[in-house]
Amino acid sequence: MSPLGLLSRGEQAEIVEIRGPKSCVHESSRHQLCHAEDMGLRVGKMVEMLNNEGRGSLLVKVDESRIAIGRGMAMKIMVKRQ
Amino acid sequence: MRTQKNADCGLRIADLKSEIANPKSEIKTITVAVAGNPNSGKSTLINAIAGTRLYVGNWPGVTVEKKSALFEYEGTNIKLVDLPGTYSLSPYTQEEIIARDYLVHEKPDVIVNVVDATNLERNLYLTVQLLELGIPVVIALNIYDEAEKKGYKIDTKAMEKILGVEVIPTVATKKMGLDNLLKAITNITNSVSMHRPKKLNYGSDIESSVSIVEKQIQNSYSQLSEKYPLRWLAFKLMERDSHVMEEINIENQSFIEEATRHLKKAHGEDMESIMADARYAVAAGLTREVLKKPEFKKMELTEKIDKIVLNRFLGIPIFLAAMWLVFKLTFDVSAPFGDWIDAMTAGPFRRWAEVILGFAHAPAWTASLATDGIIAGVGFVLVFVPVIFAMMFFITFLEGSGYMARAAFVMDRAMHSMGLHGKSFIPMLLGFGCNVPAVYATRVLENPRDKALTSLLIPLMSCGARLPVYVVFIGAFFTAYVGTVLWSLYVMGIALAVLMGIIFKRTLFKGESPMFIMELPPYRMPSFRSLMIHTWEKGKHFLIKAGTYILAVSILVWFLLNLPWGVEHKKDSYLGKMGQVIAPVLAPLGFGNWEAASSLVSGLIAKEIVVGTMGEIYVQKAADENKETPTLTEDLKEMGTSFAGAVKDSAANLISTFGMASLSSKESTEETKERTPLRDVIKGQFTPLTAYAFITFVLLYMPCIVVAIAMRQEFGTWKWFGIAFAYQMVLAWVVAFVIYQGGRLLGLG
Ligand SMILES: Nc1nc2c(ncn2[C@@H]2O[C@H](COP(=O)(O)OP(=O)(O)OP(=O)(O)O)[C@@H](O)[C@H]2O)c(=O)[nH]1
Ligand SMILES: [Mg+2]
Repeated sequence: MSPLGLLSRGEQAEIVEIRGPKSCVHESSRHQLCHAEDMGLRVGKMVEMLNNEGRGSLLVKVDESRIAIGRGMAMKIMVKRQ
Repeated sequence: MRTQKNADCGLRIADLKSEIANPKSEIKTITVAVAGNPNSGKSTLINAIAGTRLYVGNWPGVTVEKKSALFEYEGTNIKLVDLPGTYSLSPYTQEEIIARDYLVHEKPDVIVNVVDATNLERNLYLTVQLLELGIPVVIALNIYDEAEKKGYKIDTKAMEKILGVEVIPTVATKKMGLDNLLKAITNITNSVSMHRPKKLNYGSDIESSVSIVEKQIQNSYSQLSEKYPLRWLAFKLMERDSHVMEEINIENQSFIEEATRHLKKAHGEDMESIMADARYAVAAGLTREVLKKPEFKKMELTEKIDKIVLNRFLGIPIFLAAMWLVFKLTFDVSAPFGDWIDAMTAGPFRRWAEVILGFAHAPAWTASLATDGIIAGVGFVLVFVPVIFAMMFFITFLEGSGYMARAAFVMDRAMHSMGLHGKSFIPMLLGFGCNVPAVYATRVLENPRDKALTSLLIPLMSCGARLPVYVVFIGAFFTAYVGTVLWSLYVMGIALAVLMGIIFKRTLFKGESPMFIMELPPYRMPSFRSLMIHTWEKGKHFLIKAGTYILAVSILVWFLLNLPWGVEHKKDSYLGKMGQVIAPVLAPLGFGNWEAASSLVSGLIAKEIVVGTMGEIYVQKAADENKETPTLTEDLKEMGTSFAGAVKDSAANLISTFGMASLSSKESTEETKERTPLRDVIKGQFTPLTAYAFITFVLLYMPCIVVAIAMRQEFGTWKWFGIAFAYQMVLAWVVAFVIYQGGRLLGLG
């Protein structure tokens, strides 16, 4: 298991855990990770790394969408390499 | 009374009844909310149906405000409400909240759920939530063309059966499927639709909890079940949705706890995650059932382009090069037309106005007001209509292509240095067209801090209204490096924005912005028609401005230049005196003359006016040199031939930009450029160095009045505008000072 942020370009992996505050309930404090889940980055999904340069944001493909996410968030999404 | 089998008859009875009840307006109006994921084509769809010109673009978050379009279809008034795109009904950004609030509180008659057929599962996750609202839904399975191209096979009949709603394949860009969609909508409102939204099964655990909560609501809070859809309300209570909890304010919540206890125990998570997972499972299951993908996937064009465009080393250079090309093309294509308008306003129009006023025996001063005031002032702004439209054309192209979101990704790291992230770069880029929509576009940002900081930096993005000033000065001094000089101003704007952002981050806006997350759309080729429409939509504001307050200011400036009555030298007029007072402040910047000073003052209203005022101050003399007075037919003939020449030059410039220059066309453009009077005068008044310092000052010196109003509207206070005004004045002065004095030290003066 490793964080999404450590995948290199072309690697595929399955999301196994999203670490972070569990509650997505309160609007004011609704965590960005919940937003990421709404956009399709959720446990059980296959992702493919499209762009990762070691620093800055990275680009992943999940289903048919390309999602750019910040590195901080990518380090909270745990994946299992295929 | 109305049965589904006897649809036709039922319809007639319904019509009859409404006629009796309301004899005057027999046409009923139904409200249709258009909801869906960002960038799924909602606005395009409404434009296609209702003939509106809502803002569209190929990136998520184009629509940030609900907009409605009214039209009639087969005797029914339909009000389509375009909503900002949203990924879920638990909203995250300001514009998503707008969409959710509308759907929940305004109770539209029908929801058209626009689903991106190429990305079924994620889109259906929202569909599942929309169905909970208990409002009739029709699904527009949009972007069907791209799905087919990818070889996807979608079983719409199965989808209809499972969801209980009609599913209509559409291609909004090609106006396909619209009729079926409208039929499906009116079928619902006429109660002849066979479709009833299904209650989707979320699994026995959840369902048993829901039914307990539902019962409790009905028993103890029956007034609530009239106000809200029951099932939806039960879900929201189970999730402890803060919004809903606040609204309904029920004292005894223990029954909810009771009903959900076993769920939490079994899953060990909070209720919202459990619910979200259940919904997602439904969406995923549905997708599995109805979607067949081809076995072999080829690498898509979008990914090939992204490999290059998003490359670590090439990304920023490619962005800068693309900008350079845009500015070069903008200038080259439009310049001949601008020169043509210039020649027309300085020549024939001026003469005709004089002739007409002469016939009317108007007093001499009115002739001067018309020619030296209105025609010189407004005319000089109109000269730049072609360049503004050309610029808007290229911006529209960039917006439609999908590159905007890439630019945001590439600039993400630079944005981090100022405590923002890449998403803030999209509003800033839009600022190149006009700063006003750019300020509204900050709604896509997650928190108020980012919004305020981005809005403060937007005025540094050079908008279309500043182009006229650049064009005059570049035309006078830098004809050999047109594209590069123009480009340098835009890049300077971006660089200073980064610098100011860093300063603000250390002072006013401590802290980090929330994390970055944004979807990158596929690249698309915008159609010529939509390019034309949206170029016009952007450019027309500048025309309206020219006809309204630039006209008014031109007249005002004329009076200020001619009062006290009978002044001999413009220098002694009110405007001249005001300019003289301010000029010393500008002297260290290299343009400490009263003409420049008073032009800058009038430009506080809108930056185009700077050239308008210069036109009024400088140009009279030049026009007087026109001695021969051609006849009307000669004038018209000349207009025609010179316009044809402009078309030819423009085309030649376009070709030469791509390295196929022919010498003859270059020469002829040089000729036309020489002819324009304002440039000649300016050549005598400025040097290349002071000219550059001057246009830099114009770039930076303050946001225009309309931006001020937009900022006030977005933030409910004048505070941010005040800060923008103050820092920009200082920044403009300092930068122009450095350029002028630095240039002199280097011996450029
Ligand atoms: N190929 C194809 N492209 C489409 C179709 N419908 C819309 N588009 C394109 O999709 C992009 C997004 O369209 P918009 O209408 O702005 O999308 P929206 O749903 O209003 O987006 P937001 O306002 O950001 O939520 C544009 O580039 C459209 O040209 C379609 O049916 N087929
Ligand atoms: Mg839209």
